[in-house]
Amino acid sequence: MRARKRDWIDIGLVAFTVLFFTFMLAPIIVVVVVSFTSAGYVAFPIPGWSLKWFANIFAYQPFVGALKVSIGVAIAATLLSCLIGVPACLYLARSRRAWASAVMTFLLSPLSMPMIVIGFASLFFLSWLGIGITFTALLITHTVVCLPYVIRTVAGVYAGLPSAYEEAAAILGADPARVFWHVTLPLIRPGIMAGALFSFLTSFDNLPISYFFASASTGTLPVVMLSYLENQFDPTIAALSSLQLLMAVVALLIVDRVYGIDKMTVAA
Amino acid sequence: MTKLDRRRFIGGATALAAGLGGMPHLARAQAKSITVTAFGGVWEEAVRKCFVAPFEAKTKAKANVSLGGPPQWLAQVEASPKKPPVDVLIMTPDLALTAAKAGLVDDFTVEKLPNLAKIPKELTDSVMGKGTLFDYGVGGITFNKNRVKNPPKSFAEFVDRVAKGEFVASVPSISYAVTPIMLIWAMAKAFGGGTENVDPFFKAMEKMKKNLVFWAGPNDFFNHLSSGEAELGIYFDGRTWNHFDSGATWIDFINPLEGGSLNGVAVQKPVNADPLAWDYINEVLDAKNQTLFAEIMNYGVTNTDVVYSDKLKPRITPWQQTQFPPYEEIAKVRNDWVNRWNREIGR
Repeated sequence: MRARKRDWIDIGLVAFTVLFFTFMLAPIIVVVVVSFTSAGYVAFPIPGWSLKWFANIFAYQPFVGALKVSIGVAIAATLLSCLIGVPACLYLARSRRAWASAVMTFLLSPLSMPMIVIGFASLFFLSWLGIGITFTALLITHTVVCLPYVIRTVAGVYAGLPSAYEEAAAILGADPARVFWHVTLPLIRPGIMAGALFSFLTSFDNLPISYFFASASTGTLPVVMLSYLENQFDPTIAALSSLQLLMAVVALLIVDRVYGIDKMTVAA
Repeated sequence: MTKLDRRRFIGGATALAAGLGGMPHLARAQAKSITVTAFGGVWEEAVRKCFVAPFEAKTKAKANVSLGGPPQWLAQVEASPKKPPVDVLIMTPDLALTAAKAGLVDDFTVEKLPNLAKIPKELTDSVMGKGTLFDYGVGGITFNKNRVKNPPKSFAEFVDRVAKGEFVASVPSISYAVTPIMLIWAMAKAFGGGTENVDPFFKAMEKMKKNLVFWAGPNDFFNHLSSGEAELGIYFDGRTWNHFDSGATWIDFINPLEGGSLNGVAVQKPVNADPLAWDYINEVLDAKNQTLFAEIMNYGVTNTDVVYSDKLKPRITPWQQTQFPPYEEIAKVRNDWVNRWNREIGR
């Protein structure tokens, strides 16, 4: 009797899981299928198969230019976030001073603010400073919103590590730089990798901030995609979305091969 | 050794940042170029072909095209009014009025723009003379002609037949920026109301509510029609014809007998923008350039010398046969309409 009840629970859980994944994945599958349509407009089911919308991505020059800007700013913002965030975490995560907690909260605060507010306010502030609509302005603002991801993951890992490892290295004669390079850095690497990955994706997909800093030379892919989508109805955007999906999957596979996703998810 | 104190560091960082930020402006002055604006996709391609190319050929200057949307460009000009990052604005009429009232844009005169003489005065007056409409669409009835053999010819017929359940209609949701003009005002006006009285619109929506679906973005509408979720709806002429030309030959458009709303696109020049912008805007208002633009975009243009091709002529509704929205009046009551929509319709 108890075993039969157990079976029904298992069947229910499996059914729920299947439904959940269908609900989550079905829209993505539709987008991927539509990107291969032979029709000149978005419709499902598709009348025939074609790769022309993928060719159209590279034929439309603003997509190519915007993709370069998006990749450039995402890499630069991730590097800057790590350069600022990791040293900040090493100091703040174990500090017992009252203000350390306040500083940590301040550094994480962009997570709790609507991005459109950050974008709008940054536009006026950076314009007032004279930086205006430039790649520098775009990079500064992206770094502000990427930094909390690095802080959150690295601080989480570092706070959980016993200080005994670093103390032992120091007692054995290692100077602070060697302690950091040979002991601390390997231990916090999962946190840095997880933070860097979140940071890159946050920047790469960002629309509300990039929107305010878009110009002829600083338009990012999401801004150009939105502008294209508002006035054009062909499936190029579906093809571009499929390509982005492929890039993300390939990146995750490479990271998994090189480092292991499981370690990073534990860190996050 | 030089001691780097806090004040010196901040000063240096600001100077460096200002220097980095100022570099594009310096480059712009040296290369004699301006920044113009465009929506993405076919719009951008049409702008490059019809306006940028003749401007560059005549002036030997370069026009860089910034892609995006009017709220973005307006915010950028507001943030740097002394050194606007764009030299020519493409705006919706409501935002064009906002820019005009804020003193962010210059007056349009025939002295600065010889081609302005060929633009009907009403279209320039509609944005307080601080810009003009150069292109327009009409919000009317778009339908799937495979499923609707005898389409409604007027807003009144549209409402009656949808209310009776003959069709499911797709109409813009309140999240779409132009809904207050193309749907609320246009239908209120068709039923004897107007800016001061939109009760007729809300009564019509109450009658139709069981047979309505709502589109939040222009692509949703086509999805509703192609999937069979709706048979017809309120939409724009130019977008309908673009869709037709891309292979959706089952689609058609009617300007309702009462007249659909005119939804114009304004061109403006920010105060302190490069004077070369006048040369570019003059190209935007040129008859030959506008004829080509209309041919690509399937939208009406405003220069009175434009002669549409035989293909385009039956598609374009002359602006005199549309309902010209009082943009300024609508802007004053827009929030009240949105609140009422949220209370009574909620979608």
